[in-house]
Amino acid sequence: MGLIDMTVRLGALVLPNPVGVASGTFGYGGEYESLLDLSRLGALYTKAITLTPRSGNDIPRIVETPAGILNSIGLANVGVERFISEKAPMLARYGCPVIANVAGSTEEEYAGVVDRLESCTVLAGYEINVSCPNVKHGGLAFGTDPQQIERLTATLRKLTVKPLIIKLTPNVTDITVIARAAEAGGADALSCINTCVGMVIDTKRRKPVFAMKTGGLSGPAIRPIGVALTYRVCRAVTIPVIGMGGIMNGDDALQYLLAGASAVQVGTGTFVDPRLPNRVVDEIEQYCTSGRYSSVGELRHLFT
Amino acid sequence: MNQFTASIVSNEQLCQSMFEIQLLAAQPVVSGLPGQFLTVRISPSVVPLLRRPFAISRLNAEKDGFSFIYQIRGAGTELLSTFGHDSEVDIIGPLGTPFPLPAQGQHSMLVAGGIGLGPVLFLADTLQQSGYDHSFVFGCRSAAFLPGALFTDRSVAVCTDDGSSGFAGNVVEYLDSIAGELPADTRIYCCGPEPMLKGCHWFAMAHGLSCYVSVEQIMACGVGACMGCAVRLADGVSYARACREGPVFDSKELAWD
Repeated sequence: MGLIDMTVRLGALVLPNPVGVASGTFGYGGEYESLLDLSRLGALYTKAITLTPRSGNDIPRIVETPAGILNSIGLANVGVERFISEKAPMLARYGCPVIANVAGSTEEEYAGVVDRLESCTVLAGYEINVSCPNVKHGGLAFGTDPQQIERLTATLRKLTVKPLIIKLTPNVTDITVIARAAEAGGADALSCINTCVGMVIDTKRRKPVFAMKTGGLSGPAIRPIGVALTYRVCRAVTIPVIGMGGIMNGDDALQYLLAGASAVQVGTGTFVDPRLPNRVVDEIEQYCTSGRYSSVGELRHLFT
Repeated sequence: MNQFTASIVSNEQLCQSMFEIQLLAAQPVVSGLPGQFLTVRISPSVVPLLRRPFAISRLNAEKDGFSFIYQIRGAGTELLSTFGHDSEVDIIGPLGTPFPLPAQGQHSMLVAGGIGLGPVLFLADTLQQSGYDHSFVFGCRSAAFLPGALFTDRSVAVCTDDGSSGFAGNVVEYLDSIAGELPADTRIYCCGPEPMLKGCHWFAMAHGLSCYVSVEQIMACGVGACMGCAVRLADGVSYARACREGPVFDSKELAWD
């Protein structure tokens, strides 16, 4: 152990290891501070940040499904100004790269958030959420339209030299078209995938469990979808891809890395076991050691 | 808050639809207060997936032995009821905001409904040990739902919906019946089904009493990260997290439709 090069490069950004924690599942970091070693995270992707605070969707917001959870949180967050004054000062002490997840309804809103966050030196980059399925104008219009995504990416590209990661939705006919559009707009990397649209109906009340009717499905139930889409996206673009969806152990993460991802994110799995992100790093490293790979980056070239 | 392993000392059905699980941790790890809860990983596999939250119902003086009560509601609690003596379980806690203690000399009226008994039992023990004046009422459907073993060494007024034991009616009707006997500065503490909490809130408002409720909400993370366990606040538009700002709230802070 310790001899494997676990670093990952996303554009100009070098992550200490490939295992990050997914936006929306980790708050702003402090919530989990006493339960795992934050300094061993490859990256911490914050809860989505919008231009103005959002209280979120009506309750209930969570329903468990077979090997998954369906959520309808609705981008509940403190807004960019309170993020800067209250949350950002805490991030530096975590000792891991912090990437701000940015959401909005219009191009101006995304640009406004990135522009304000440029003053936060603690942030290592931006993950642009163009794929929230749970609010009426949560950016999904951008995430499903290649022209809009290329234009949005190009607009944000002009505002920052920090790494720009576009988070893709699986809820499209051909994800590779969207992936190429983001690359053409100047994205440094892609996150693949956001939640899958799902619905649970309460048969006693004869209506959907959620007020918004549908929600976003995450957890092991979607892992094969995430791996397949990561595989396809990796073959459609030349920029690095961050794979996610249902990672519950090192082997799950390795599937994404072998599919071509440069890094991964653990999300719902952290709810089940907060130590999981740390353990997944160890298990990837063990796999590299026993396979005699000198760097984790080799894994994505092994599979043909 | 810590993540630790505890072994099951006992896991027994107390009455219809109520189980008590007693656990022992290897070292004193639970610095819990009444109203706080723990989350338990139920399955080593992915079905059921999420940890389940349970309020602490008892904590020993050494802080390593603790209990919670539960009801079989779905696949998670069904599986939990099969866990035998010496089984090890993965626990995170203590979590959430506890009940604030009353002022010295203030009377406390403890109100529990059904499976909401857990945190109220722990509060009753804490008040008892510290010499706070309090009374305790428990409501359930019928005598078959009475967890007699939990009431052997304490004075609890019992209400049953069908009148098969104690006061015939629900706990709010019971409160109405004794309203004249409650000291003017009585504080109500309650946990139970939502209609009961609402009834206690309106009872407290009608009599100018303070009222703290422990709410129940589906949780994903249990630590404040996911915003899933929201409860609507009195302004009607904003939310608080049951797992962090709650599960205990001053009833005046919450929206009661």
